[in-house]
Amino acid sequence: MRNHSALAAAIALSFCMAVFAQTKPQAEAPKSAIVDAPHDLSGVWMLDHTRPLTVVERFWMYELTAEEPPMTPWGRAQYDASKSSFGTRSYPLAETNDPIYHVCTPPGYPRVILHPFPLQIIQSSAEVIMLFEYDSVRHQIFTDGRAHDTALGPLWMGDSVGHWEGDTLVADTVNFNTKTWLDRVGHPHSDALHLVERIRRPNHFHLTDDITVEDPKAYTRPWTAHLDFLLHPKWTLAELFCEDQDTFEDIENNEIKPAAK
Amino acid sequence: MRNSFVGVVVALSAALICAATASAQTQTPSESSKSPASFDPHDLSGVWMQDRPRMITVLQRYWIYELTQEEPPMTAWGEAQYKAHKSSYGTHSYPLAETNDPVYGSCSPPGFPRAFFHAFPLQIVNAPGEVIMLFEWDSVRHQIFTDGRPHDTSLGPLWMGDSVGHWDGDTLVADTVNFNDKTWLDRIGHPHSEALHVIEHIRRTDHDHLQDDITIDDPKAYTRPWTGRIVFALKPKWTLAEEFCEDIHSFENIENQETAPAK
Repeated sequence: MRNHSALAAAIALSFCMAVFAQTKPQAEAPKSAIVDAPHDLSGVWMLDHTRPLTVVERFWMYELTAEEPPMTPWGRAQYDASKSSFGTRSYPLAETNDPIYHVCTPPGYPRVILHPFPLQIIQSSAEVIMLFEYDSVRHQIFTDGRAHDTALGPLWMGDSVGHWEGDTLVADTVNFNTKTWLDRVGHPHSDALHLVERIRRPNHFHLTDDITVEDPKAYTRPWTAHLDFLLHPKWTLAELFCEDQDTFEDIENNEIKPAAK
Repeated sequence: MRNSFVGVVVALSAALICAATASAQTQTPSESSKSPASFDPHDLSGVWMQDRPRMITVLQRYWIYELTQEEPPMTAWGEAQYKAHKSSYGTHSYPLAETNDPVYGSCSPPGFPRAFFHAFPLQIVNAPGEVIMLFEWDSVRHQIFTDGRPHDTSLGPLWMGDSVGHWDGDTLVADTVNFNDKTWLDRIGHPHSEALHVIEHIRRTDHDHLQDDITIDDPKAYTRPWTGRIVFALKPKWTLAEEFCEDIHSFENIENQETAPAK
């Protein structure tokens, strides 16, 4: 993440909205707090850790919820076979079969959220794009009313369409491949994975994402997670490819320390 | 690439409406004349695909694998690097089993400017203080900061380089340095060193066309700076799809797809 002053995001869009607002009566001009245009999620966001920390005094979150999700026998078998180097049942680095670390395959979605790097949201009226610093992947949510396009073949990041319900962006993602883990401790998913996200900006500096994970092959019922993000007006994304992290030791050492801003 | 009418069209028109409305408010209401092809020259947003007005190179290959047809002026070091690079494309192409192309063996990031020469579209998006090119191929991005910052070389050598830019009239001038030496400059194996300095003059010549004049300055690899031009056509009905290197299982597939004309 790079520091730089660029609060202009909100300003630019508010300016644009202000132009439209001129056609309205002049009375309603709230001044004190920063008021974002409705549906403006843009900015650089970093995962915020408001939940109680899990075991091992690890600072970062490696999974979507602290509660164990309700796995099917198939899901449990997959999970048992996943040898993550993180979490409560972490394996020595030499033994991990984490698909990312040996060959740098794309992390997939939603796993990429759990890597401790920022994301940037860019949007137009037709799409909302999350750009992830980690491995340069993107979560591109089309909000133009299109249907899912399953002609593309199974995808690492899935196929996402969304619509606005009031102030909430509801994003629906399907069409995943089976080459990724759901999170960084190795929870499984199948190609039946279906994610529903409810993304909202409750105030200028906060973003929330309530994620429902539905995958009848891996889980006995749909389950949900709540993620909080904090706006970082002075950050911009840097380049961070998996290929540049030469040793697993480096990764672990970096991540058990709190983030240095 | 995915077809979607509404996507880019709506985005572009929204941007245009907003910009037009914004400027109109400060001006007299008389001049609201807008031809269908009008555009804001500082708005490069949209999905763009490389257009090929240049002569086709040898082997009847349809796609362009390098920046110019003329051989760039390599130094002795550059020439040695070039000879050691066994590309599966171009005039001195090697059989697929023998290529040492860094992308195909391990799916490492293609780097910049090489990402331009893969046969997939790119999308330009605007954010405050930056212009970002999102490449469909391997999801890499070319992020040009236009907020006046200097280069940040504290980041270590980068695959895509560190880019800052400014507007010179209707031209976005982008300056990129701080490259690692793990990538090829193009797809046939022209070399570069960590001293690579790329200067782009990016201009929307009309509503439907974008041109990028690229100067390559790398005194270790080339005896003098040299330039190439890439022309792009707007694809209003396209949106980017996912296209990771990992999904292309055989080099044969790549070659077969790319020797076929584009849709």
